[in-house]
Amino acid sequence: MKDRQTISLDENSVRFDRVSLSYGPTVVLSEASLVLAPGSFTFLTGPSGAGKSTLLRLAYLALRPTGGEVALFGVNTSRLDRAGRARLRRRIGVVFQEFRLLDHLTAYENVSLPLRVAGDVEKRYRDDVVELLRWVGLGDRLHAKPPTLSGGEQQRVAIARALVVKPDLIIADEPTGNVDREMGDRLMRLFGELNKRLNTTLLIATHDVSLVRRWNGDLLRLSNGLVSREAAADRTEAES
Amino acid sequence: MTITAGPLLPREDARDAALFFVVCALCFLAALAALSARAAYAAADGWTERVAGQITVRVVGDDANAAEAERIAMAAPGIVSARLLTRSDAEALLAPWLGAAGVPDDLPLPHLIAAEAAPEAVSAAADLGARLSAAGLDVEVDDHARWSSGVNRATEFAGLIALVAVGLLSGTAIAVIAFATHAALLTRKDVVEVLHLTGARDGFISSLFERRFLMLGAQAGALGALLAFAAAAFILFALKQADDRIWLLPQLSLSVADGAILAATPVLAGAAAMLAARLTVLRSLHEMV
Repeated sequence: MKDRQTISLDENSVRFDRVSLSYGPTVVLSEASLVLAPGSFTFLTGPSGAGKSTLLRLAYLALRPTGGEVALFGVNTSRLDRAGRARLRRRIGVVFQEFRLLDHLTAYENVSLPLRVAGDVEKRYRDDVVELLRWVGLGDRLHAKPPTLSGGEQQRVAIARALVVKPDLIIADEPTGNVDREMGDRLMRLFGELNKRLNTTLLIATHDVSLVRRWNGDLLRLSNGLVSREAAADRTEAES
Repeated sequence: MTITAGPLLPREDARDAALFFVVCALCFLAALAALSARAAYAAADGWTERVAGQITVRVVGDDANAAEAERIAMAAPGIVSARLLTRSDAEALLAPWLGAAGVPDDLPLPHLIAAEAAPEAVSAAADLGARLSAAGLDVEVDDHARWSSGVNRATEFAGLIALVAVGLLSGTAIAVIAFATHAALLTRKDVVEVLHLTGARDGFISSLFERRFLMLGAQAGALGALLAFAAAAFILFALKQADDRIWLLPQLSLSVADGAILAATPVLAGAAAMLAARLTVLRSLHEMV
């Protein structure tokens, strides 16, 4: 775990500074500190119930910590008003474990949702959204609504929705959990491409150890409310 | 290929239809109550206006006393006109109760003088009474003030009750809409959460519900007002058919003021629905981080 002196205040980092979260007597996260450098590619692992989803929720501002500070892109989120938090959320693409697609909207409408929320004009983003859906293999399912899509297709729509705004930070909770290996690799390649080309910071929670091995990212392990870090370079060295 | 994004909120469902019906019914009742309140006030104005400045003098005595009283009244300051009512005048007044057969010959009729005071002569009735008494005449002078004040009190009370009804119905409508908005929020919580987490501002999310409920309130209010207009027109028509002494009843004449009430109903219903939705949505959103 990094200590306070090494925590960067870089504009494009995610920083947890002694973040705690408790529900009554139940401690989910205990003084967790972490830094995601701009353009870093980080996996988050840990046993079921360790608090991975909670940590992600703190990172995408769906929860407030009961202690410590969460800073995104150099901004201390505890000092932000609601509008400021909404502005920060627009810089984050989230792939929820349970997808959270809106059943009454088509695949196209679900993917374009963050752009509409940001006030973009449809004629400016229409082609990009269609192209993105084609890229994830859903070019012929633009008008399909989530209940008519398979689990894997829904996941791809959810991923396309997270990517559409070209976010500075992508947070994904088990993004390859419901797709086959080929599609999983394809999605991870897309994440990797975004990471390299746009310097997008990636935080991916996964149970899949082979995924972590194949995609050589940094690793955060979450256990008993504590976070430990393992840099990709250190892991490669140890494995060799 | 034509691709266009549809509305972010799900289209109306059965709950919206039920809410539309309830708001429509409340608007109908509120509009009808408002029309009743206006009619009551208008009736009070109409009735009291008819007797304003009118003075009735009853002369106790024979025809000579009555003629003397008429002469004094005509000459009294502040009195514009004075006329001793004839037997045929009395028969016309009593016709609604005694019928076309008229007053029996042996029925004694009082000597009545109908006088009209100048508008600025506020104490004309009292002055006339004093003048007639001073002339040794036994008279009773009535300027209908007691009757007018009674009518005013009654109609004001009726109008007040109608206004209270309008207030209660409006409050109920707002409460129903707030409740319905809250229920709609709960059933569409997934939509609200996803919008929230994709960076939508509270005002953006709120505006989706505000638009929805503005339209619902305005449309329900318009239909309610239309039904209230139809009901008022039917009541007016039925009363006119039933009795030609319609002037005795409240003024259900569907005037400009009535039109304003009917026109305001959908506007107010829409505004109230929008406000209720806004407050409910914002309160719910503040429960989210």
